[in-house]
Amino acid sequence: MIEQYASIASKGDMVLLQRLAERLSGKSFLHINSTFAGGGVAEILNRMIPILKELGINTRWEVIEGDAGFFDITKKIHNALQGDPEKITDDMWNYYLETNRENAGRLDLNADAVLIHDPQPLSLIRHKKDGKWIWRCHIDMSNPSKDVCDYLRQFCVKFDAAIFSVSKFARAIGIDEFIIPPSIDPLSEKNRSLTDEEIKTVLDKFGIPTDRPIILQVSRFDRFKDPTGVIRAFRLVRKYNNAILILAGSSATDDPEGEAVLKEVREYSGDDPDIHILMLPPFSDREINALQRIATVILQKSVKEGFGLTVSEAMWKGKPVIGGAAGGIPIQISHGVTGFLVHSIEGAAFRIRQILNNPEMARRMGEKAREHVRQNFLITRQVRDYLAVWYCLENRGSSIVEI
Amino acid sequence: MEPFVFRQCVNILKATGRKANSLRSMRKEIASVSDESIYHHAYHYFLKEHLMEYTNDFAHWAGEALEERALAEQLSNIDPYEFKCIMDLRKEFLDVIDGYLERFPEPREVIAGDEFYFNETITIIYPAGVWVKNLAEFLMVLKYINAGSIYFHFYEARIRLGSGIDDFSQWISHSAGKKELAERIRSIDLFMHNIEEIREYIAGVIEEDLKREMEFTGSWK
Repeated sequence: MIEQYASIASKGDMVLLQRLAERLSGKSFLHINSTFAGGGVAEILNRMIPILKELGINTRWEVIEGDAGFFDITKKIHNALQGDPEKITDDMWNYYLETNRENAGRLDLNADAVLIHDPQPLSLIRHKKDGKWIWRCHIDMSNPSKDVCDYLRQFCVKFDAAIFSVSKFARAIGIDEFIIPPSIDPLSEKNRSLTDEEIKTVLDKFGIPTDRPIILQVSRFDRFKDPTGVIRAFRLVRKYNNAILILAGSSATDDPEGEAVLKEVREYSGDDPDIHILMLPPFSDREINALQRIATVILQKSVKEGFGLTVSEAMWKGKPVIGGAAGGIPIQISHGVTGFLVHSIEGAAFRIRQILNNPEMARRMGEKAREHVRQNFLITRQVRDYLAVWYCLENRGSSIVEI
Repeated sequence: MEPFVFRQCVNILKATGRKANSLRSMRKEIASVSDESIYHHAYHYFLKEHLMEYTNDFAHWAGEALEERALAEQLSNIDPYEFKCIMDLRKEFLDVIDGYLERFPEPREVIAGDEFYFNETITIIYPAGVWVKNLAEFLMVLKYINAGSIYFHFYEARIRLGSGIDDFSQWISHSAGKKELAERIRSIDLFMHNIEEIREYIAGVIEEDLKREMEFTGSWK
């Protein structure tokens, strides 16, 4: 499997990956999050775990269990950390702690390094046994609700280090805080090359016409992704250009709001035959891949965003992407070079029209976008960074490390 | 001839938890933030794939977020390779900001979300797994080696060696004995090219030199 990346990924990354793996070989690495399916974290872990194992790292992936009440609470915590004014009562905190305590009893937490993903399993740190514990925060914490942030701080400070996707998400916690953007896997079903026949099969399955340019947004049905804003932008575009819009998303077991947002979006789109709303089941990777490859313009018009990996996915397919200037999107899109950053619905509409009317510019941007992803956002780079952080924690000291 | 061993580096970013939302808070932080943070924001411009409007992170923020273009140009004019130590470089940034604040004492704050975040890096240095023993081999490797290796030998070396000289021209001058070729490499304006353009330029002048040598050798025979 590793050899397959060698012809795609940066050679330098591959060399360092190998050297780090030699030094950490045989050690154990435990990842814990809250879902096996849906959302970017599960998706990356699905691909990363086999790579780590192949590198000789004894890697496990565990998922915490909880009932609907627990996930309602953690969704509120998630929203509060992204800036929503949520109120978490003492009873809710106690339920959160109790559920994690039960999980601590059920899971084997022994490992040389433990990576806790996002706030759902955060309080497992109270049950730490040994090894280096690292909190991997994937969400946009640039403007969190103070109460929730203050409460969670008691757990954060117990970790050996934290990892955020973007500098502005990091808080002054008092522990080492690393900045590691997430990544995509170029060999996964979602990102591998597809044949024309494979693409056609997907288009036929959903009844997508190909006689007009396709504008696409792929994301969970989540208000922070502004799906109704995308529809409004599309309506502005259609005054000037004939096109169709596809909003494609999947559900996640840890997101109870998805259904409600999907209903809102359906109502807002009315009976417009040119707006295709696709609720895809988990593991619809080939379908998403095909839609991204057939699209003329791809949007990620988020108003709040963890990182927005769908941006890198689209860029890897050589597409110019229009992204909301939120979270990690500005790191992926260099405005005017690898895509466009927008701050409003009107801005999104304008850039869609610009791309629809300048295919040569779109092609150039798409080429640069793909190379930018190759250098910075492939999974090999992320595995490299995780191992580098782990290695640095075990060899604390200098800001220069020779391997 | 002493072989040239290619090495390379990657930087793992660390947040300091410190940020600035105005020129005055930026000044305060520059005065007290770690040397590693000043180093990161002043030198890592050269790792970027595209040439930016301004040549260091402080200048970029002053121009894009504060919209103080004149200040951005002045900060951008600071050549970090002219300084022997971070303390002197830090002082130069502060002097430029102080001068600007004397003339324009009330610059506005940035809008929320555009704050400057101070970071540091841990630099990991490792062998690229390639070494060469003559100029022709050097050229071959240079064309394909990772950009991180070119950064390490061409930019980072200037600080590491403390002499402002890159590893490539050092080796070409001392081991390959080609002082004129080394001078051509040292004459590159660092700020006007990204790493790929640097690669292309150095490969071009070496290729030219090798061809000339082959032609000369041919006619002499």
